[in-house]
Amino acid sequence: MSSKTQAAQAGQALWAKMPKANAELFALTYGSLVTELVRDYEDPIEVNNQLERIGHSIGVRCVDEFLSKADVAGLGLATQCGSLRDTAEVVAKCGFKMFLGANAEVGGFSPDQKSFSIYLQDNPLSTFVELPPADESVGGDDLRKLKYSNLYCGVIRGALEQVNLKVDCNIVRDTLKGDDMNEIRVELKEVLADGAGDDYKEE
Amino acid sequence: MSRSSSTNILDRPLGRSGGRSSDGSVVSLSAFAYIYSELVQYHQGRAASISELERRLESAGYGVGLKVLEMTAYRAKETKRETRLMSILHFVSSSVWKSLFGKAADSLERSIDHTDEFMIIDYEPIASTFVSIPPDLGQLSADAYVSGIIAGVLDGAGFSARVTAHSVNVEEGEYTKQGANAVPGLPPRKDKAVFLVKFSPEVLSRDAALER
Repeated sequence: MSSKTQAAQAGQALWAKMPKANAELFALTYGSLVTELVRDYEDPIEVNNQLERIGHSIGVRCVDEFLSKADVAGLGLATQCGSLRDTAEVVAKCGFKMFLGANAEVGGFSPDQKSFSIYLQDNPLSTFVELPPADESVGGDDLRKLKYSNLYCGVIRGALEQVNLKVDCNIVRDTLKGDDMNEIRVELKEVLADGAGDDYKEE
Repeated sequence: MSRSSSTNILDRPLGRSGGRSSDGSVVSLSAFAYIYSELVQYHQGRAASISELERRLESAGYGVGLKVLEMTAYRAKETKRETRLMSILHFVSSSVWKSLFGKAADSLERSIDHTDEFMIIDYEPIASTFVSIPPDLGQLSADAYVSGIIAGVLDGAGFSARVTAHSVNVEEGEYTKQGANAVPGLPPRKDKAVFLVKFSPEVLSRDAALER
């Protein structure tokens, strides 16, 4: 499909232009944040919620950077997603590629075309990470319930919210828990009306 | 990269030295900046004062520093540990800086007034590239995290030190070349980051004893 390769090429071009930072420092900084959260909240479910909230805050801001850079590069496709399929391609091929240099795949479209999955083979956030094995005798919280990469869910939700798509994101498969790849399930809840309202409509 | 997730994490290969040449070991600067900004915001929400915020950021960086020391020392394939003060400082300002930020630190200086103080200078610290400090937080440096990393590296190597980050104005003409970390489209930075390293007295006396 032509839009698929377009998105992939666009992603490559955007990635090449971004100034780079060390991925290990990135992973270690995220690890430091998660460690702090686990120390403060103790309950892994609450930590997951916090990560999602933090991701939401990042998503809201990174979508501006993404759209402006995609526009400057003359890639109108970012602003012209005709269907959820196009949006999915742009998020995975351009978004993930541009910010993380990661190759993400899209698939798993539901029959009503309202949900899809993003597959991530190598997760830059979880370099060097291993979840402790479930140990009932310790009596502490089961950290295996921790969704280490829940940040991605928040980022996708925040970013798509800014372009009027209300979505729900979940981590379905996680390499940290032994699965062969990471899968994020995105479900479209509703398409919001333009948030600014009538006051801001141009005359 | 090993595909089987059943391999023990400690058995996986660490990757080539340098770590910037292959695509798998870089992310965009923006991704790092977003994560770092969230880290700072999180700590800011829980700190009561500027110095507490700085302390929190430094301790966040400390653990990272310990790990960075291990990785960088392993990859540099040095057969001996650094035991001398000057050599560990050179190691930090060149190898560690290169592996974390892609270039060696811009300069390493010794303080004239205090024999136990050294300064590592970076004209384009990536932690504070996208940060602007409001006037009511005047003394805060966003690079407190990096000074925590340096403190972790030095402590892990056996040289306990207190490291603080300061933002110092760049003089006219002091620095004209655009470094590797300069972000295209942003105006050149008006201030450089100076990391003040103050070693503990026992480190200095040990170094003096080794001199003899």
